[in-house]
Amino acid sequence: MRVLEHAARLLLLALVALLVSRGEVSAEPAAPAFVVIVHPENPANALERSFVAEAFLKKTTRWPDGGVIKPVDLPPTSATRDRFTRDVLKRSVAAVKSYWQQIIFSGRDVPPAELSSDEAVVQYVLTHRGAIGYVSGSARLGDAKTVSVR
Amino acid sequence: MWSRGWLAALLLVVSPRGAEAAEVPIPGNERAVEVHGFVSPGFIVTTSNNYLAKSRRGSFEFTEVGINFTVPITDKLRSGVQLFARDLGPTDNYTPRADWFYLDYRFEDWLGFRAGRVKIPFGLYNDSSDVDAARVPILLPQSLYSINSRDFLLAQTGAELYGRVRTRGLGALEYRIYGGTIFLDIASQTTVSAQVTNLDVPYVAGQRLMWETPIEGLRAGASLQALRLDADVRLPDRPPVSLGIPAVLWVGSAEYALHDLLLSAEYSRWVARLESNDAVVAPPMRAVSERAYAMASYRINEWFQPGAYYSLYYPDVKRRSGREAMQHDVAATLRFDINHNWLVKLEGHFMSGTAMLSADLNDGRSPAQLDRNWGVFLVKTTAHF
Repeated sequence: MRVLEHAARLLLLALVALLVSRGEVSAEPAAPAFVVIVHPENPANALERSFVAEAFLKKTTRWPDGGVIKPVDLPPTSATRDRFTRDVLKRSVAAVKSYWQQIIFSGRDVPPAELSSDEAVVQYVLTHRGAIGYVSGSARLGDAKTVSVR
Repeated sequence: MWSRGWLAALLLVVSPRGAEAAEVPIPGNERAVEVHGFVSPGFIVTTSNNYLAKSRRGSFEFTEVGINFTVPITDKLRSGVQLFARDLGPTDNYTPRADWFYLDYRFEDWLGFRAGRVKIPFGLYNDSSDVDAARVPILLPQSLYSINSRDFLLAQTGAELYGRVRTRGLGALEYRIYGGTIFLDIASQTTVSAQVTNLDVPYVAGQRLMWETPIEGLRAGASLQALRLDADVRLPDRPPVSLGIPAVLWVGSAEYALHDLLLSAEYSRWVARLESNDAVVAPPMRAVSERAYAMASYRINEWFQPGAYYSLYYPDVKRRSGREAMQHDVAATLRFDINHNWLVKLEGHFMSGTAMLSADLNDGRSPAQLDRNWGVFLVKTTAHF
């Protein structure tokens, strides 16, 4: 019996080692699907989810200190945008596109800037004091400040 | 003109840059002009009765084209203009017009000011009713968003105050208050039996109040509008008649939009009086019309979104019998998003009643003489950026 238990443990260890080597099990904690970032001088450390949603729908256009909020999006085909939109805006990307069609063609506003990559979003956030963006959890953030979304 | 619409649509979609917004935001370049546009050619056919166009034989005269330019002048001040043209049966024939133009100054989120020609906020969808890409149905419920009333209800030239106020724990209130006038094209109001020689809207004023409830995705509200229409009309073998039509319109609205589901319902009454200087030709009268609908749509996946609605319309609430005194409309739509900038829709309607039909399109036969039950089928494709 001891031999069998020993063999089973070895088999389990081998299986774990195999999965780790294929990247299916990580020794590191999994990166989040997205992180929300702001300019390094932005005093916020945490934001209400509803505030972030309203900022990206431009229903709220000012930070608490009066500065203009400058939201920036990833392209509609981005998996990071899909996850951010569903989790924070509680809608699909397509539903948000329809929302902006209504706003754009009735002359009320224009949608947030759309940039092509995480790097471009980080760069935008670093160069605009009122900016708020989101990037994939594995993106290089440089000096951009992450904020938690409650 | 039809082929030109198709060509423009094709260019938008085939062009490698056509599928993206015309303005690419570059860090530091925040004052760039944003350009957006759409081309929506369509086809309509009815089983009987001509509707919107000579539809019994099938008609391609069902196309809209629009392009707009928006310039952020400062963080608070914006300006914009939209050019629009359409072909709808015998009307418009692609005559270009400034759909809207404005200066918009937003002091704070709770107070902004627009002046110019601005879309009228009436109900949930009036100010976006000519944007096919913004909704599932090809025809919004016509009881409330009649495509024939576009000239009267879409935009006014004047000013508007607007804002949005968050209330702690109670959601948010969005308001819009406006006043001005509407410039109407006399030619488009002239019919076979009457020639309009003068047309004036001395005033249009109203408000819309929307409550975004604490329940995620649920909003409800009410809109009120008052206007007056003065017209001089010449009838065959009669002296000219001066008419005045003061009207008050109101609508109660509710919408639930969460994830891929959209539910909405609205109920409305329009109260109109007719004043005239010739009681024989145009006896004074007062009519209250009733309009309502319930609509649902659900996005199954990225490219497929079906929807349906039921809509009713009674031109006179005191008279609800007879085919010409009602219009029931059961509609179903399939929307296919080919990509993020191109979509195709198929739609069918079962209609009972003829209240929204015109004698002019039906060889002079009055709605009471037209077929009571009829069907409408539409196809529309829209390219937008």
